[in-house]
Amino acid sequence: MRKLFAALLAVVMLFSMVSIAVAEEEPITVTVFRGDPGDQPTSDNKIYKLIEEEFGIKFEIEFLAGDLDETLGTKLIGEDYPDLFDGGNSAEKLINAGALIDLLPYITEEGTPNLYNHIKDIKDDLVDEEGKLYIIPNYGINYNAQIQNYCNGPAFFIQKQVLAWDNYPQIKTLDQYFDLIERFVAANPTDKNGAAYEGFAILCEGWRHFCLINPVQHLMGQVNEGEVFIDRETAAVETFINKDYAKPYYKKLNEMFNKGLISRDTFVMNYDQYIAKLSSGTVVGMFDQTWDFGSATAALETANMYENTFIALPLVYDEHYGFGVIEEQYLNGAVPNKDRGFGISVNCEYPERMINLFENLLSDRWQIILQWGIEGEDYYVENGRMLMTEEQYKNRQDATWKMANMATAIWESAPKKQGTMDDGNAWDPANQGEIYFNLMNEYDKQFLAAYNYQKPADFFNAPCEIAPWGEAWQIDKSPIQDDYDDFLLIQDQWLPKIIMSATEEEFNANWDAFVAEIAPSAAVHDAHMQAEVLKLVNK
Amino acid sequence: MSVIEAIKRRMKKRDIVFPLVNGLILCLMMFITLYPVLNTVAISFNDGTDAVRGGIGIWPRVFSTEAYRSLFTDEQIYNAFFISVARTVITTVLNVVLTSMLAFSLSRKEYMLRKVITLVMVLTMYVNAGLIPNYLLISKTLKLSKTFWVYIIPTMFSCFNMIVIRTYITGLPEALVESARIDGANDFRIFWQIIFPLCMPVLATVALFVAVGSWNQWFDTQLYNGSKKYLYTLQYLLKMKLATSMQSMNAANTSVDALANATKSTPITIRCAITVVSALPILVVYPFLQRYFVTGMVLGGVKG
Amino acid sequence: MKTIWEQKWLMLMSVPMLLYVLLFNYYPMWGWRYAFQNLDLNNFKQGADWVGLENFQWLFGRDDFLMSIRNTLAMSVINLVFGTLSSILLAILLNEVRTRAFKRTVQTVTYLPHFLSMVIVVGMAQNMFSSNGVVNSLLLSLGIVDQPVFWLGEGKYFWWLVGIINVWKEVGWNSIIYISTMTSIDPTLYEAAAIDGAGRFKRILHVTLPGIKSTFVVLLIMNIGHLMEAGFELQYLLGNPQVYDNSRTIDVFVMEYGVSNGKFGRAIAAGMFKSCVAIVLLFAANFIAKKLDEDTLI
Repeated sequence: MRKLFAALLAVVMLFSMVSIAVAEEEPITVTVFRGDPGDQPTSDNKIYKLIEEEFGIKFEIEFLAGDLDETLGTKLIGEDYPDLFDGGNSAEKLINAGALIDLLPYITEEGTPNLYNHIKDIKDDLVDEEGKLYIIPNYGINYNAQIQNYCNGPAFFIQKQVLAWDNYPQIKTLDQYFDLIERFVAANPTDKNGAAYEGFAILCEGWRHFCLINPVQHLMGQVNEGEVFIDRETAAVETFINKDYAKPYYKKLNEMFNKGLISRDTFVMNYDQYIAKLSSGTVVGMFDQTWDFGSATAALETANMYENTFIALPLVYDEHYGFGVIEEQYLNGAVPNKDRGFGISVNCEYPERMINLFENLLSDRWQIILQWGIEGEDYYVENGRMLMTEEQYKNRQDATWKMANMATAIWESAPKKQGTMDDGNAWDPANQGEIYFNLMNEYDKQFLAAYNYQKPADFFNAPCEIAPWGEAWQIDKSPIQDDYDDFLLIQDQWLPKIIMSATEEEFNANWDAFVAEIAPSAAVHDAHMQAEVLKLVNK
Repeated sequence: MSVIEAIKRRMKKRDIVFPLVNGLILCLMMFITLYPVLNTVAISFNDGTDAVRGGIGIWPRVFSTEAYRSLFTDEQIYNAFFISVARTVITTVLNVVLTSMLAFSLSRKEYMLRKVITLVMVLTMYVNAGLIPNYLLISKTLKLSKTFWVYIIPTMFSCFNMIVIRTYITGLPEALVESARIDGANDFRIFWQIIFPLCMPVLATVALFVAVGSWNQWFDTQLYNGSKKYLYTLQYLLKMKLATSMQSMNAANTSVDALANATKSTPITIRCAITVVSALPILVVYPFLQRYFVTGMVLGGVKG
Repeated sequence: MKTIWEQKWLMLMSVPMLLYVLLFNYYPMWGWRYAFQNLDLNNFKQGADWVGLENFQWLFGRDDFLMSIRNTLAMSVINLVFGTLSSILLAILLNEVRTRAFKRTVQTVTYLPHFLSMVIVVGMAQNMFSSNGVVNSLLLSLGIVDQPVFWLGEGKYFWWLVGIINVWKEVGWNSIIYISTMTSIDPTLYEAAAIDGAGRFKRILHVTLPGIKSTFVVLLIMNIGHLMEAGFELQYLLGNPQVYDNSRTIDVFVMEYGVSNGKFGRAIAAGMFKSCVAIVLLFAANFIAKKLDEDTLI
């Protein structure tokens, strides 16, 4: 009897194992939507081929072509969900509409150790109020040491030649910065081609209006929280744009405008015109984020105008403004990109296999394949350091090459390792020290040497600990959408008017009118942000 | 003969000033419309990183075909071109035939349903249910999404064109129809054998409108066929390329940094190259249609 | 009954199209019920609640929606007047050209801007109208102004900029329809007029213009019905917060406060409002045309 039972059990077990194995092997085609534009990979893409061989999974990828919200809206209402659903910057819509499954039940210490360890420390921050996790962040989860060679985020920028002209001074405050710009333009009204210098440019177009409305928080010594100032101790939240400590910045800009250092056109120019201006080398300084004007930097470098490229400076208010001595804090720790990346839709027939795929792709071996490529083809190893020849590195920037040789679309939205590997190599080739410094041009090397610095990030204080609320600009504002839209629009309309005021009286009158008009929507904004921040703190 | 000579003699005196002024005005118009077009072509052939600096006239500053290369290296593009041609040709033929047929029947004063059908048709130009209800009809009720037919079936009729054709038909001599009817021809034969050929100038115009509309359409691909890459149209593919090139500039999060990511073709050159690529086929086809509505038809024989 | 049988061919040629239009254009209008619901992305599955006229109240309670109606109508009228006049003028000038090659060349060149994308057109316009752009340089050198005009940053210029850009982009394309209509004018009419001693301007006045009159009237009635459509892309791209009070059209408003935050109820309510106004305008225009004994649309 026992024998029979054992035999039966064995047969059942064998059967079930076989069936699992078969299920694992069965080739499937997974439909994918990405909330960002992208290039279709070629049909013989080498990385996708490897994935297909190893996991039996093929992808049918749809990229965003038009407006994200419109596209998601129709997909959601039509309940036409792909298996892997990346909602880009509007992924909340997928979650709120119930299009995604909760991933937590699938993630266990034994079954999916890579994923489990990946989110173990930040799980509480990632889950929603019901304790559910729909999306594993696509970026911002670091392993070992975080590498920041330069400031990729917000800062005040100035042409390197201006600092060289003034004998490489340390510029730390708002007054020093504008004083230098003023002196430089007075001494050099035009560049060598006779084009007039523009002291300071402000991009105000669309969502890039952060160049206009964000600087004050940094002048007060805060990391980028978006439109609010948050007390790190008490987590008290307030909108900063209508406060007394915002006024001096716009007063300064008003002075600069009346001195002719800011052009009227700056308030109506679009992004293309802004980039064209920066790349002509006639804009002395601006507040922006490094990634936002990458094409201008590239254009300047291609034209051998290295001295016209920009360096990021962490400015704060001077002491005389009456806010005490402020210590700058522009660089922040890595922020998990909450609710951004792939979710698995409720229409997906094989969620386990999707989880399994992510689990396997998160292994060290696959992370190297996805981020570095194939050893010998895409990179080489010397004394334990992973390196690339110039050609190999150039390939990675060639969109056409990437279509055939990198699994960019899947990699960008899937969970990934960042920071450094256990052996000290960087997960991202662009952060690998040797590669970064080999790439740097001679002018920059000499410029940094004049300051006795190793890398551009040396102008900044070290990154701080990430706050429990991450960075507050990530907080979903859709519950207060109408008020939030008003809140932003009032700033967009009033701040240029304030800066263009002709007299002191007009400036004050405009400022007071602005503060009065924004009060109602700012109050709604305050209340919402405070509540959300507290929720995150109390988790 | 003598009549014509009389006209010529009259014309000679004053007819030097007018053509001259007229020619000058038209040349000026050509200049102000041609300049931006040439500027677009020039930018499309310029090096991308150089182009962002602006200030390019009608000749590229740093010549490069990079923008075109990045558009045409995609293996998809030939298939997409084929789909675009197929949808444009099929839609144009169907639309012109069906629309003109309707226009003819609605031009017949004696037709009892004329008023009611005209009203129903005309209102379609002004009432629009909106994106979502239309989407639900086509993708859920009719299940046309993820098929080629979604390019054809919803675009078989256009009221604007129907009215343009109807107005033209109304201008034709009524005697044509009546004499044909006396000869025993039915309404369909009258339309097909007499009216349709006479409408060539307006049909060529309408065909141009329909073809350009269909050729330039990308939104329906996005809505219904975004997940089927073998059904992508050329315009959709180009739209994707543009979006991708803009994306690489906005990539806040991609850690492969913007500095290193200096792509050789930037959105500005890509956008211009796309304009050239999309307009070119129309430009090629245009003269064949233009013949009908610029030169005009000799109606004399019929009218007499 | 007899008429039905006699007209069977006409019916065969029109009734299938009627059914087609009923399905594709009228059936989705069942979706207008959403105008009275609070439909958004969070509640579409379980079904949105009926909220009566709330969406309409929200729209008409907002000053900027009312402003967008004003802007839409203003820009439409400007576009309609300038657009029609310029394209008829171009068609007449072209019609007077006797050199066939020249005529074709002008025609081909002037319709080209139609194919430029709005993004490119707006980019060029912004460069031209900036403080140191061509327009200001010209005005300054002619001494018409002594300070560069802030064309793009002051609301009072916006409508006219849109009018100019639209004319420039579409004049060639819009004239095609008039040119093709002029080909149907019987050439003997011109000869007869010439024999009667009519000069060139008289001939244009008495032969060409009457020849395109029915097309003109029909297009005019049609466009009056379209007065609620002033466009979206141009205003969206050319506008900036400094001129919002003059630049936002209904479509831009709906995009910003309806579609992009998933409030479909509002978007559909605004669309429904537009359609109703359009129909009223259409019937009014058609009625007036009928009174004046002109061709009518319906």
